[in-house]
Amino acid sequence: MIEISGLTKTFGSITAVDDLNLTVAPGEIFGFLGPNGAGKTTTVKIMTGLLRPTRGRVTICGHDVEKEPLAAKRAAALVPDEPYVYPKLTGVEYLRFVAEIHGLRLEEQRRRIPELLEMFELSPRSGELCESYSHGMRQKLVLAGAILRNPRVLVLDEPLVGLDPKSARLVKEIFVSMAGRGTAIFLCTHVLEIAEKLCHRLGIMIEGRLTALGSLADLKNKARSPQSGLEDVFLSLTGGSEYASLLRHL
Amino acid sequence: MILFALWRRKLRSAKNSLLRASFAQKIRRAAFALLGLSLIAGLYLGFARFLGFLQKAPLIGPLIVWKLTAMAFLAAFLMVIISSLLTSLGTLYYSSDLTFLFHSPVDFRAIFIDKCLEVLLFSSWMLALALAPYALAMAVVDHFGAGFLFAFATLLPPFLWLAAMWGALATLLLLYFFPSSKTRDMVWILSSLSLTLVYALVRWAQPEKLVRPDALHVISAYLEYLQAPTAPYLPSWWLTKALWDWTAGRLGGFAAWAVLLWLCAIASFAGLVALAGRFYLRAYTGAQESPRANRTTAVTPMASRGWGLLPSGAVLAALFWKDRRIFLRDVRNWSQLLLIAGLVFVYLFSIDKLPLDNADLKSLVSFLNIGAAGFVLSSLSLRFTFPAISLESRQWWVLKSAPLSVSSIMWEKFIFSALPMTALAFTLGAAANRLLHADAFSSQLSLASLLVLALVLSAMGVGFGALFPKFDAESVHQIESSLGGFVYMTCSFFFIGATVAVLAWPMRMHFMGLFGRLHAWNWIQALWCGGAWILLNLLAALVPWSLGRAHLEAFEP
Repeated sequence: MIEISGLTKTFGSITAVDDLNLTVAPGEIFGFLGPNGAGKTTTVKIMTGLLRPTRGRVTICGHDVEKEPLAAKRAAALVPDEPYVYPKLTGVEYLRFVAEIHGLRLEEQRRRIPELLEMFELSPRSGELCESYSHGMRQKLVLAGAILRNPRVLVLDEPLVGLDPKSARLVKEIFVSMAGRGTAIFLCTHVLEIAEKLCHRLGIMIEGRLTALGSLADLKNKARSPQSGLEDVFLSLTGGSEYASLLRHL
Repeated sequence: MILFALWRRKLRSAKNSLLRASFAQKIRRAAFALLGLSLIAGLYLGFARFLGFLQKAPLIGPLIVWKLTAMAFLAAFLMVIISSLLTSLGTLYYSSDLTFLFHSPVDFRAIFIDKCLEVLLFSSWMLALALAPYALAMAVVDHFGAGFLFAFATLLPPFLWLAAMWGALATLLLLYFFPSSKTRDMVWILSSLSLTLVYALVRWAQPEKLVRPDALHVISAYLEYLQAPTAPYLPSWWLTKALWDWTAGRLGGFAAWAVLLWLCAIASFAGLVALAGRFYLRAYTGAQESPRANRTTAVTPMASRGWGLLPSGAVLAALFWKDRRIFLRDVRNWSQLLLIAGLVFVYLFSIDKLPLDNADLKSLVSFLNIGAAGFVLSSLSLRFTFPAISLESRQWWVLKSAPLSVSSIMWEKFIFSALPMTALAFTLGAAANRLLHADAFSSQLSLASLLVLALVLSAMGVGFGALFPKFDAESVHQIESSLGGFVYMTCSFFFIGATVAVLAWPMRMHFMGLFGRLHAWNWIQALWCGGAWILLNLLAALVPWSLGRAHLEAFEP
């Protein structure tokens, strides 16, 4: 469903993504991990057509993102790392706009929009301008906009940041349910606990290179610590344990 | 001490901005500086000629000059007050650095003083730059000498402060007693309305009558009026009297008025800071409150069926629906629309009052109206059309990640802009032709070319907007004054000039026919001219459009 082959992206002399190869199958939740500046968001942006690759290609449901961008974008939905929505539209208007530009029929909109607003507890404030929403409310609105049209591929960049525990739980259940219906989910996150619990496979990226790929058990074996949690595995693979000596001085 | 630290950060920012500018930025700044200096030089020459002319009026010449000076200072005073109302809102309550400053251990009176100085600078620099060549012209024409300029420079700061403080005071009180962002919206609209009214009233007074010799005898009948003070309780009159006394050698009088100006300025500053100690924090926090008005949540059809006739009609309708709502809900656009209404009124009023008593001259003015109205349209396009793509701002991801082509987005922006632009072009063209009673040929030529001009300027605006997107801009002004805005303005001016030059050809043949020349019309030349006009419009619309589309498709925010 998602196929990334030989993907490379450079910004001047900096290589943000270096020869990335990856596939995500239908119904799979793939966790994409890595320290800050590893190239995760760049990968997400290329997958959803916001950036162009320097080399390599990404296909979504068989459509090359660069050559058939409209078909690829019809199949995929994005939740970016910052939930920027139109401040002068109301919550319900934002969802209407998103539904309309994705070609959702009016009857479908009438059924799905109130349903999603209710589910994310946005109904009481759905008639207010988004400029009055908190970060968490805007995050929920963007998530609702992504789910609204039942995408076959869901690309999420830190989707749980700013959500209250109840909403975070709801969102996790939605992801599991969507994956159960065959949606491929590409999840970038720093919350290792969520990646550990939700994801079928994980990829760890460091300085633009995919250094580890596989199930949690595979990664534990690679880190040679089969009894550890994902946090220890992550720190072991990304070199985070070196901070321990620094922390002692603080 | 803390104030010095706050000012140092501004000086450091300005220094960094100057020293670390890119080559393109340096070129743009140099071009702007040159343009500004030319404008000031032009103002000086105009003022010098005007004052010289008035000075020559027997007996009452100096009186008229001082009366005019008092009126000019009064107008400047009122303009700074209105400008300070708008500037105070943005600077004192919505600056991006205020969150940081209020979180820092800084006395908020220091923040208030720091921001008040910004208000003074931003609300008055333009009028100060306009008054400087006026004072210089007075000094040169009347041989007042360098001392006059020194006196003027000494008294200008308290004069400008006494005007600018009203904006700070009014917004402080309003937001203290009505702490809501709705107050901001009301101040925006009322200030724009006041500015429009002042602008229209100044024009309504027909000041050009003063320079017509046949009107001077009427003024002489109002000698008493000329000698009477103009708004004696306002600082504009104090400044006039101080300068008048200086030129008359009455140094005691000058000192008295100067002390009055400075004392009032210092006292008002101290009073305002004391008031800010009690009111500013509450006013600031109140201004951050967003309205919670509930709008309808009904899911109704977005657009009429007419959109279905266009390719990608549903998508265009959705984009248009979104842009219309966002535009109408932004109160800053309403204030701009009020100013445009004032501008159109003044434009048509000026055309109506042109001293033309010859039918051919009226037809010629109707033709030249293509250029004048074209400049008005291009200025509006710079404000509304050119920034349209950039105003997608950080929400650009919504469109870019959706199954929409860049062409669709650009077409919608074009339709959104072209509708009001053609309506305005029609108003300016048709109303001007009617007021002028221009002949049929000139009227039809100017109206048709203005309508096409509006369409092409819209396409150019969208094209250049896509070629120079600025999604990180914090305001429309940053987009307008960017390199792209400068390039767009320059190209649109060239395009308007070229349009007038090409159409001057058939106009010349038309006039030759009117003046009785046989076979005035050379149809081959007319066809060439028509072809050149079509080619010019196609190039002006399609080149920026294609370049912009290609750039936006490849653009990586």
